[in-house]
Amino acid sequence: MKPSLLASFNRAGAWVLLMFLVLPALIAIPVSLTPKRFLSMPKGEYSLRHFEKLFTSEEWMSSFGQSAIIALSTSLLATILGTLCAIGLWRVSSKYSEVVRAFLLLPLIIPQIISAMAFYRLWIPMGLLDSYLGLILAHTILATPMVLITVSASLANFDPKLEQASRNLGASNWVTVRRVILPSVRPGVLAGALFAFILSWDEIVVTLFISKYSVYTLPRRMWNGIRENTDPTVAAAAVVLIALTIIAFVVYAILSRRNAKVKTSL
Amino acid sequence: MFGTFCAVNDVSLDIQKGEFLTLLGPSGSGKTTLLMMIAGFLDITSGDISLDSETLIGVPPEKRNFGMVFQGYALFPHMTVRDNIGYALSVRKTPKAEIDIRVEEMLELVQLQSFADRKPNQLSGGQQQRVALARALCFSPPVLLLDEPLGALDKKLRVEVQEQLKDIHRRVGTTFIYVTHDQEEALSMSDRVVIMRDGAIEQIGSPKELYEKPESKFSAGFLGKSNFLYLEDGTYALRPEKIDIAAEGAGAAPRMTGKVRSVTYFGSIQRVMVETDEAGELEVDVDNWRNPTSFRAGQNVDLMWEDHAAVMLQRSED
Repeated sequence: MKPSLLASFNRAGAWVLLMFLVLPALIAIPVSLTPKRFLSMPKGEYSLRHFEKLFTSEEWMSSFGQSAIIALSTSLLATILGTLCAIGLWRVSSKYSEVVRAFLLLPLIIPQIISAMAFYRLWIPMGLLDSYLGLILAHTILATPMVLITVSASLANFDPKLEQASRNLGASNWVTVRRVILPSVRPGVLAGALFAFILSWDEIVVTLFISKYSVYTLPRRMWNGIRENTDPTVAAAAVVLIALTIIAFVVYAILSRRNAKVKTSL
Repeated sequence: MFGTFCAVNDVSLDIQKGEFLTLLGPSGSGKTTLLMMIAGFLDITSGDISLDSETLIGVPPEKRNFGMVFQGYALFPHMTVRDNIGYALSVRKTPKAEIDIRVEEMLELVQLQSFADRKPNQLSGGQQQRVALARALCFSPPVLLLDEPLGALDKKLRVEVQEQLKDIHRRVGTTFIYVTHDQEEALSMSDRVVIMRDGAIEQIGSPKELYEKPESKFSAGFLGKSNFLYLEDGTYALRPEKIDIAAEGAGAAPRMTGKVRSVTYFGSIQRVMVETDEAGELEVDVDNWRNPTSFRAGQNVDLMWEDHAAVMLQRSED
């Protein structure tokens, strides 16, 4: 009796924890369906008017587009930089490379508000304030450590003999990276790219500091929407974001399961 | 003369063109280190490694043109057997048609034609080993380095693959440098064996020379089994199968007498441990067909051997 009691207790605990983590995010769903003009729970009546407003509003659509451009560029840049960093540190692999690695992870450790101030101070003289380039660079700096971590994790499972085999067979360093190392760490690269995208996609702290009029990302518009006019369109946007995130993760899960299948048939 | 290298600990070794040379030693003896130095993955601090009297110092591994079969094979998991084998040619920008022809040849050499489009993880250990061999030989390297290539295979398969390896060595004529800790492998496959110990060469010679004329206790004990006799004029190695044994009084001109400690039956031989006064415990392998006498523990026996059966390792210092 005892183990089954413990098991059901564990199961109940797991569900409570899951609800605790997920429910606050899901609250956006009923709120987005309210027929009223302010943030509220719908009472018996439901309406899609806020979704309609979201998808017909030029401002909201432009913010979606801007966020997409910035997040995709960030993801691309951070993935390239982070992957090269990870491979380089793995190749060198000395106690100094561990120090360098710690430094590279700093942007992830330092509170974002401090990074935000630093970017603000630096971007003014460089003329990068309130520009796509400024945001993409700032987000890339924040996201690169994510890629470094995921690719390094993949490299930890990579057999260094494969690199030796490639060199022994006549491949230069670069050819070895391209034809042997990269295909082997692809899951880590993909995960890093996804994390980098998400980081940029919902980044608000740094964005608030270094953008003003010409760049207006989605999180920024949602922030303003809540602060200034408690507009339920924000909830509709949140639902769209949640849906996109779930879709992205499902795609990622399918891809990595396919990879895992290839691996487990070893 | 093919090449000379000095490595590990003031080690100097000439390797002949086309020979099958085995580096044999226990783990930690420096045999793999030596191989990695030849392959170019480890730098040497002093001395020289040369090929056809041209130094290889400072030449990166990818420019050395040595084939290598790695421990655990190191096949590229994301490539098919065909792509694995053709890799060396494809990174050399060989035209595709040429690569295809050469890969077919190699597939035929290692008898894997029907597995060309499989991934390495869909192959058995023995098949993977053959792919690794074909991959390393595909670009016709002058030297093939093999790092314990049979270590992952079970015993029965190992004997089979030994034969295949010897056959392939004969057919391609490439110099093989083979690292192993398995003395049977070393004896049965090599033209010459280098016995290594603590980063230095203990003895070099053909398998027969090493077995019949060991120069040290280590060589005698590592390659095959050996009894050691500490006689007045020096230390001798005496192989267990070179001792004749008979019941007490039945032997002609016995050299020693002793008491049987234990008898173990192995089919073709029985291993008799004999306690002697002069030399302590001696191991005697009795050929069951030539000498069908059954021995039992506690029995007194005569031991005989020919003069040249015992090999002097060290003369007493006086």
